[in-house]
Amino acid sequence: MTRERWGSKLGVILAVAGSAVGLGNFLVFPTQAAKNGGGAFMIPYFVALFLLGLPLMWIEWTIGRFGGGFGHSTAPGMFHTLWNKNKFIKYFGVIGIFGPMVIFIYYIYVESWLLGYSFFALLGKYNACKTEASMTAFLQGYQGTVQNQFFTSIGPSYFFFLVTFLLNILVVYFGISKGIEKVCKYGLPVLFLFAVVLVVRVLSLGSPDPAKPENNILNGLGFLWNPDWSALRSAKVWLAAAGQIFFTLSCGIGVILTYASYLTKKDDVALSGLTAAATNEVAEVLLGGSIVIPAAFAFFGLAGVTKIAQGGAFNLGFVTMPLILQKLTFGNVFGFLWFMLLFLAGLTSSISLAQPAIAFLEDEFNFSKRKASLVFGTVTFVLTQPVIFLLARGIVDELHFWGGTFCLVLFATVETILFGWVFGMEKAWTEMHVGSDITIPRIYRFIIKYVTPAFLLFILGFWFWQEWTPVILLKKVPAENVPYIVGIRLMLVGLFVVLTFLVWHRWQNKKVRSS
Amino acid sequence: MRLDGWLFMIISWSAILALFFYSLIRTLRSKDSNKSEQ
Repeated sequence: MTRERWGSKLGVILAVAGSAVGLGNFLVFPTQAAKNGGGAFMIPYFVALFLLGLPLMWIEWTIGRFGGGFGHSTAPGMFHTLWNKNKFIKYFGVIGIFGPMVIFIYYIYVESWLLGYSFFALLGKYNACKTEASMTAFLQGYQGTVQNQFFTSIGPSYFFFLVTFLLNILVVYFGISKGIEKVCKYGLPVLFLFAVVLVVRVLSLGSPDPAKPENNILNGLGFLWNPDWSALRSAKVWLAAAGQIFFTLSCGIGVILTYASYLTKKDDVALSGLTAAATNEVAEVLLGGSIVIPAAFAFFGLAGVTKIAQGGAFNLGFVTMPLILQKLTFGNVFGFLWFMLLFLAGLTSSISLAQPAIAFLEDEFNFSKRKASLVFGTVTFVLTQPVIFLLARGIVDELHFWGGTFCLVLFATVETILFGWVFGMEKAWTEMHVGSDITIPRIYRFIIKYVTPAFLLFILGFWFWQEWTPVILLKKVPAENVPYIVGIRLMLVGLFVVLTFLVWHRWQNKKVRSS
Repeated sequence: MRLDGWLFMIISWSAILALFFYSLIRTLRSKDSNKSEQ
């Protein structure tokens, strides 16, 4: 079977950047910065970018291209090749297929809300909601967690879910260059354009309420950027910055490995990794940091924005922003731009989450693209149903914790140690520079071998110390939700076991054939 | 916004924009930036 390839270098960079630019850039980063020291947050943020984010980017691009050279697009085969056919390491690689699948099954549903809200914004469907309470009721009605005057059933939400789901499957079905690359090549520039329009509109808001001149955009930017030096003494702030860098760059998921596997041996990875990371940073710090927090400050003042920042990203995106944008002239259009921008960010991320499982079926089981997409679509469609119908039971938080937090850090730690220590820094450094358009500063030999793994082990250790017992024992879960969360955990264990069995089965077959 | 807030914002924006334009220009200048490899 001929291996798929990217159509152009810019295409793969935009695809990786598209995978990285997601809802977190516009919703999570500004709230994290505002909560963790404002401008001072940028010090640990940049430290984490250079010691954790960029090294991980280069590691994943390099492992991906290396594995692709042996016909592997996913972590089990790549790790197996990297560690000289070690018997067990391929099972760690299962996390690189399992993690993205877990994220996909809740992310796709949240993404579908954005598509729905884009239409609601254009049609003015939530314009009657003038308070936070009524906008929250609108969201809950749409999610189907309550029946109210806005929605009497989950039907509209399910309709937009089906459209979003089919769109995602269709894109991955069309493949790397005709599907994913095309969507990212057009989607990402449109996303940037919408974001720039919103930034310009928000920065020109001035002081919307003449009776409260202190509630203005400059003070809103000050809320985000005025440094609180005392925050730098808190370990939690440093961890929050490291976590933000980690998640924003899509590292540790397995997606970059798969995308990079479609490069040829002579393709550059050093400059491409840097460009993808820099593109994500522009979206996050320049654009993401200039929309929600300054706008919320200008309309709700210091007390209001502090409460909003504590309320979390969903509230900010689906409640606060529509309330703000509908107050503007052409509010419906700005509302549409906001939700469509987030939808595009979600789409370019979710298609990347689908690709590892599809590539696994294609590479290791010789499935056709059509068959692999159909199997992936059927399995994830079934697994998404509990997310939709049991949303109020805290299912999304649970899936996000395992797929979007724990697996990421664990996977990144394993691959970093494997790359710098098992594969060996000498070979790793040479591999990183094959076909390279830039020379990575030599200090990164030291950083990749010692600093990045130490940083990751520290994050992992801190997590075990702080979170392990309460999470495992469900101490933070309300009693009425415990059976549902246990059910979801069993579902995750089942998925992991099936994927592990598939890897085992595949390698058994290989062994039989080679002997 | 205080003066140190302005400083942090300008320095952060400049650093990111410098990194972005450096890498983008190098990418666009490289020989296979936009052509098909197939």
